[in-house]
Amino acid sequence: MPVPRGRRRTELVMLAFAVGVVLAAYASAGLGLNGKVPSGLAGYGLAFAALVLVAHLVVRRLAPWADPLMLPLAALLNGLGIVMIWRLQQAGHGGNPGVAISTMTSSTTTFQIAWSAAGIAAFVAVLVVIRQPRTLQRYTYTFGAIGLVLLVLPALPGIGSEVNGARVWISIGGFSIQPGEFAKLALAVFFAGYLVSKREVLALAGRRVLGIDLPRARDLGPVLMAWAASLLVLFFETDIGTSALFFGLFLVMLYVATQRTSWLLIGGGLFLAGAVVAGKWIPHVHERFQIWLNPFLGSRPYGSAYQLVQGLYGMGFGGVLGTGLGHGQPYVTPLVQSDFIITAFGEELGLTGLMALLLIYGLIVQRGLRAAVAVRDPFSKLMACGLAFVLAVQVFVIVGGVTRLIPLTGITTPFLSQGGSSLVASWMMMALLMRVSDTARRPAPQPIQDEGMTQVVRTG
Amino acid sequence: MNHALRRISLLVLALFLALLVNANYVQAFQSSSLASDPGNGRTFSQQFQYQRGSIVTADGKTVAKSVPVKHGTFSYQRAYPYGKLYAPATGFFPVNGTPTGIELAENKLLSGNDPTLAVRNLVDMVTGKPKKGATVQLTINSAAQQAAYNALKSIHRPAGVVAIDPSTGAILAMASYPSYDPNQLATLNGNKFNRVDKGLLSDPAQPLINRAINATFPPGSTFKVVTASTAIGTGKYNSSTPIFAPTNLNLPDSNKQLINFDNEPCDGGRPPMIYAFTVSCNTAFGNLGMKVGGGKLHRQAEKFGFNNQGLKIPLPVSASSFPRVSDPAFTAYASIGQFNDTETPLQEAMVAAAIANHGTLMKPYLVQKVTAPDLTSLESTQPAVLSQAVSSQVASEVTKMMTDVTQQPDGTAHASAGTAASGGTVIAAKTGTAQNGINNVGLDDAVFTSFAPASNPKIAVGVIVKGGGLGADASAPVAVQIIRAYLASQRG
Repeated sequence: MPVPRGRRRTELVMLAFAVGVVLAAYASAGLGLNGKVPSGLAGYGLAFAALVLVAHLVVRRLAPWADPLMLPLAALLNGLGIVMIWRLQQAGHGGNPGVAISTMTSSTTTFQIAWSAAGIAAFVAVLVVIRQPRTLQRYTYTFGAIGLVLLVLPALPGIGSEVNGARVWISIGGFSIQPGEFAKLALAVFFAGYLVSKREVLALAGRRVLGIDLPRARDLGPVLMAWAASLLVLFFETDIGTSALFFGLFLVMLYVATQRTSWLLIGGGLFLAGAVVAGKWIPHVHERFQIWLNPFLGSRPYGSAYQLVQGLYGMGFGGVLGTGLGHGQPYVTPLVQSDFIITAFGEELGLTGLMALLLIYGLIVQRGLRAAVAVRDPFSKLMACGLAFVLAVQVFVIVGGVTRLIPLTGITTPFLSQGGSSLVASWMMMALLMRVSDTARRPAPQPIQDEGMTQVVRTG
Repeated sequence: MNHALRRISLLVLALFLALLVNANYVQAFQSSSLASDPGNGRTFSQQFQYQRGSIVTADGKTVAKSVPVKHGTFSYQRAYPYGKLYAPATGFFPVNGTPTGIELAENKLLSGNDPTLAVRNLVDMVTGKPKKGATVQLTINSAAQQAAYNALKSIHRPAGVVAIDPSTGAILAMASYPSYDPNQLATLNGNKFNRVDKGLLSDPAQPLINRAINATFPPGSTFKVVTASTAIGTGKYNSSTPIFAPTNLNLPDSNKQLINFDNEPCDGGRPPMIYAFTVSCNTAFGNLGMKVGGGKLHRQAEKFGFNNQGLKIPLPVSASSFPRVSDPAFTAYASIGQFNDTETPLQEAMVAAAIANHGTLMKPYLVQKVTAPDLTSLESTQPAVLSQAVSSQVASEVTKMMTDVTQQPDGTAHASAGTAASGGTVIAAKTGTAQNGINNVGLDDAVFTSFAPASNPKIAVGVIVKGGGLGADASAPVAVQIIRAYLASQRG
């Protein structure tokens, strides 16, 4: 029987590799912009290396059995995001080619690094506070309430603010926060707790139609409530992405909890119906559909499709191998530092770089799902599944949106986009997934063997 | 629950696969159609961010280059050191809209986006060297080009001229008048460009038209070279065969008569063909054309390059036209270049070049070679045969006749292109004076086709001056100046 290993050394080596890639990207961006290695290379490099080293040491101490790939993958994404934000902020400044991006300031990169530090602090805090994922189950309804409040906050007049047609922000004391980013974590915990206690009932079959076991009518309540809530989000915050994210999260967790395919079909049908109605009746959503179907239809520069079209131009311009960091013109695309940052990567690192990023996301999701499969406790299983799935859907919604696979909806790109809420929430999600993974991979206490001395049994 | 979890994993896998496939579609397959979308400012402004390749003449004069500037996001601006002189060849590279001339025809190489440059670009990207376009070398000889433009400018009428190396087809000079200054159109200020461009487009003198290859004129008597070639090609004629040449030629099925210039008789009405050619008798060649027939004339004209819709040098050349005629009266007119015949100055030069090159017409070309930024050769034009226009015997008979045009005292170009005017070089030529307008009230177009030296041809020149009057008076001196300048540059 192989001795289970924590594989922390693997994690350290992979982290060093991730830091190396990030620093190489940073140097390459500087060389691409003005032929000089950025002067801050050593300073930023040390700061970034120190941050991830802290995270690593904490994992070593508090989650020694956690998956060794998650932290390096997350660190790589976060670091590349900082490099791209730095590169975008440099455009048009100090003799660099390009036009300055009006929505970025000279301190944007510094803020992003500070937010990364905050994210890693949140990561550490989650690992410190939550030693057993199961403990969260006790606060199921607390998290449900928190999630709901966070979700409706932007819709409230006064603190909610509308940016680019979607009400997903709140402003408190000069800070803008997207509470939805945290709501998805809270709701994943809530759904996990709720479904674990109710799954037997929800799995009861009602009538059988077309070979599918329909649930009993009275059990439809929670699904309909979740559906109504997501439609309300859609209606009041005109944000189809967030709405899809929450409803998808709920449906998938419901399906995993009950193993009833009918829930997926019913829920998917409800969501599609809601989306079609919204596409018809909500002008903002309707416009998004039109842009998706015919971005090149209007007269140049394509009016409201301008941003999407510019992003597509950028990715086409990058082609297979990309222009190289600093050589493209990603600054042309509006909001390229947030929603459209993936097109900047597509342009400067090419299809090759974009596919590498997608594979990194895919690996994180896969590692998360693997932890869910491996862990025994149903609550942890559901929560990990929900978190991994919500990350996958978020990547799908934003990357699919900017690459015109699906209608575009404004949602952040985890770890890459400029902005603190998303970064902190993503790091917290990593901490939760690693906590589940740690629990799953932790070797079972050694049984007391017949022969030999009495042994000290480690529990936990 | 693990069963459901595995299914969810498959769903997630499907989501990521969809993203990957779609990214491949956008960045690998859709990339070129996105790049060519007219709204794509990236493709466009990128061209002003690195050094576009230069355009140089055969003798190494830079006629178009990118110079570093600071203008918003643009780092380079196009400059044309010789202004109007090379405009018909280089064209211009505007900040809005489509480039013209070689700037358009060789755009991919000049911009460095040609697939042949892909590996170099990749290496440059890795080593951090800025991207640079390839250098395009024209076949133009700067001495011939300068002489051509100066000569047209001094006449001050709409005109076009082309000079060709008969043995290869290389275009030695290509001038058009009036011309424009491409530097004005190279401005990086879009509004200023639009203003200048609009002004040039609405200018009644039409300076943007390249008259050397994109304007057609009636060939007039220079077409007699084709008519004579057709007749001699039948085997029934040579240059000394006496041919029927009345003062007035009655045209069958018509009440019209073909007359000689100024109603003069032509050497008693039955001169040898060479004499009729030398003094350019209309009745002699009108009658000759009727005898050989419209079908044969049509075939011969096409072998010289008429009716070719697809000729590219690589600039697209307007087709010269010789419609098929069967009616004898129209055939008579067509034989002396007066019916519906039209041609470009390039076509005029091609006829002379084919005769000069023992009957073999070489494909005309303007680009000699293309050199990568690292000075390795990317492509270089190999001379190609366009057609065997006439046999070498026919060519030598026609050469004899064309030589008499300048060398015999009564030849139509004796005064303007004889050895006295040409500085001793024997030029073989044919003049033309094409009548214009209803009842010929318009000013005649002066046409001249020639090559030199007659015994060992190095250059063939076609000149058309709109409203220039007699071909011998207006066009011949242009050709003579080009020939002299070119031969002098080759001796030097």
